[in-house]
Amino acid sequence: MLSESRGGRVFQYLFVLVVAISLNFFLPRMMPGNPLALLAGVDVGLMTQEDRDKVMAEAGLDRPLIEQYASYWGDLLRGDFGYSYRQKEPIANLVLARLPWSLFLAGSSLVLAAIVGIAAGAYSAWKRASVIDVGLLWSMITINSMPSFWLGMLLIAIVSVRLGWLPSFGAETPAAGYEGLDRVIDIGRHAILPVLTLTVLTIPAVYLTMRYTMLSVLGSDFIRTARAKGAGETRVLFAHAMRNSMAPVVTILALRLGFAFGGTVIIETVYSYPGLGRLMFEAVGGRDFPVMQAGFLLITIAVLASNLLADFLYPFLDPRTKGQ
Amino acid sequence: MSVANIKIGSDGERVAGIPESRKHKIRFSASFIAAVLGVSMILILVLTAVFAKQLSPYDPAERVGKPFEVPSVAHKLGTNDIGQDILSELIYGTRVSLTVGFATAAFAIFLGTSVGLLAGYFRRMDSILMRVVDIILVIPFLPLLIMLAAYLGRSMINTVIIIGLLIWAGSARVIRSQVLTIAKKEYVVAARAVGATDRHIIFRHILPQVTLLAIGQFVLVVSTAILLESALSFLGLGDPIQKSWGTVLYWAQVRGAFLTPAWLWWVMPPGLLIVCAALGFALIGFSLEQRVDPRLKQKR
Repeated sequence: MLSESRGGRVFQYLFVLVVAISLNFFLPRMMPGNPLALLAGVDVGLMTQEDRDKVMAEAGLDRPLIEQYASYWGDLLRGDFGYSYRQKEPIANLVLARLPWSLFLAGSSLVLAAIVGIAAGAYSAWKRASVIDVGLLWSMITINSMPSFWLGMLLIAIVSVRLGWLPSFGAETPAAGYEGLDRVIDIGRHAILPVLTLTVLTIPAVYLTMRYTMLSVLGSDFIRTARAKGAGETRVLFAHAMRNSMAPVVTILALRLGFAFGGTVIIETVYSYPGLGRLMFEAVGGRDFPVMQAGFLLITIAVLASNLLADFLYPFLDPRTKGQ
Repeated sequence: MSVANIKIGSDGERVAGIPESRKHKIRFSASFIAAVLGVSMILILVLTAVFAKQLSPYDPAERVGKPFEVPSVAHKLGTNDIGQDILSELIYGTRVSLTVGFATAAFAIFLGTSVGLLAGYFRRMDSILMRVVDIILVIPFLPLLIMLAAYLGRSMINTVIIIGLLIWAGSARVIRSQVLTIAKKEYVVAARAVGATDRHIIFRHILPQVTLLAIGQFVLVVSTAILLESALSFLGLGDPIQKSWGTVLYWAQVRGAFLTPAWLWWVMPPGLLIVCAALGFALIGFSLEQRVDPRLKQKR
């Protein structure tokens, strides 16, 4: 992967985007049954004749497939995601209102998971086969096997309901009229449990990668050289071992952001959090397919963008590829 | 791309606290303990699934009590919102969850091994197949899974197909890299030199060498598949008739069980079962991988 040029990576991501958009276009048209219902997202029987004609004309179902495909792309490029006949609103508005909440959840939990995962992984590798290392390793493997929604439900049952410490749903207290700092605190309190759940579930992947990479780095010659030259243990740990283990971890973090975004569908459902994932879940429940597709597309774009970011960060983190 | 695929790199790692010098004491490696733990967890679950009929006190589809009963002698884990026995639901759910896990993994590993063999052996197909693998690994997994499930409709077979179609890619990559090494070995080159056909080489020389690796991947994929199935069912996209552990949790969520004391008997047990199954398979896969993966063997 490293040998690939950055231009090649950009091209690959663009290609993935084309695949995702094509999936969005072809899936509803390939399914058995009336494509009109799948494209409009409401039962055909419930639609007015006017709406039906409008969907027909917009999707151009009477035109050749290739023409429909071209105009589908044209709409997307103009930022037109279509119209939700169920929620009676342009989908772009719906999606944009929800996006910041998901970015907030996924972003903050990823930062936290990176800090904890890297620190724990480095410590584990440094103190290899110690009680703490073995304990950490086993608990991380166990956490990896936990369903995210279950962890969320338990946290609500214990922290919100039994202890009454934190709110259990939403992003803010509805109609509380908080302003300024009060509102920030309110939003923060609502975010603690969802962010915690996502963080806990993201840590193992970071930890396992960091530990594995550190172990191989610690066994390499330049560490021995550093020690032989009289570098202190602290310096060996931070300047040599950890520094050289960061690059693969960043790749995993970028991939994890994808999972964190995907995971928001479940976390936001458990905590009734008004993000993109929750929107997607509601759309699935209400069979509002156009909204569901828009959610999928936006999550894909976010994931690709973060992967791209990681690719650009990589050379700065990996001393071996510097100056190439 | 399962998280379980991440290498842990503790080949031959000794359990803490036992000094190297005590040579005569039996020492267990982490991978051995993992294997024993994993196999016993899975064995119990498989037996539960096989003997579900004998083990469960009631028919899980039957309304045998009042709704929302608390645990009692008659209903050890209480009853759900329509008066079905939760314990019986969970025992029968073991069948569904394990079946979906195994079937999905079988499908995914069949795909992954085929693609891995083709890509690793026929160099011309390599770049195209690996591009496909890369695309599948990059697309956000869960949203795509949800979208496919929503279009295809809720049934056990659909669940198996869509999860399988999305998780073979990681295994294909692992198997391909193994095939690449084997294909360069002298006996393969020699076999080709004396005129063996590609088919003969693949099935007689290469496939046997990757079988163990594929089994390790299979076990890891079962673990991932069980988790994904539970997530789909939790979102209300699972088979409505064949209730899995995830389905039980879906209803617990819909009825707000986690807001009442019922979380202890309605939410806790199904989740623990999912953890046991996913962890059991992950542990077996982990210890198999330690034995098979050439990259881990080189370490230390």
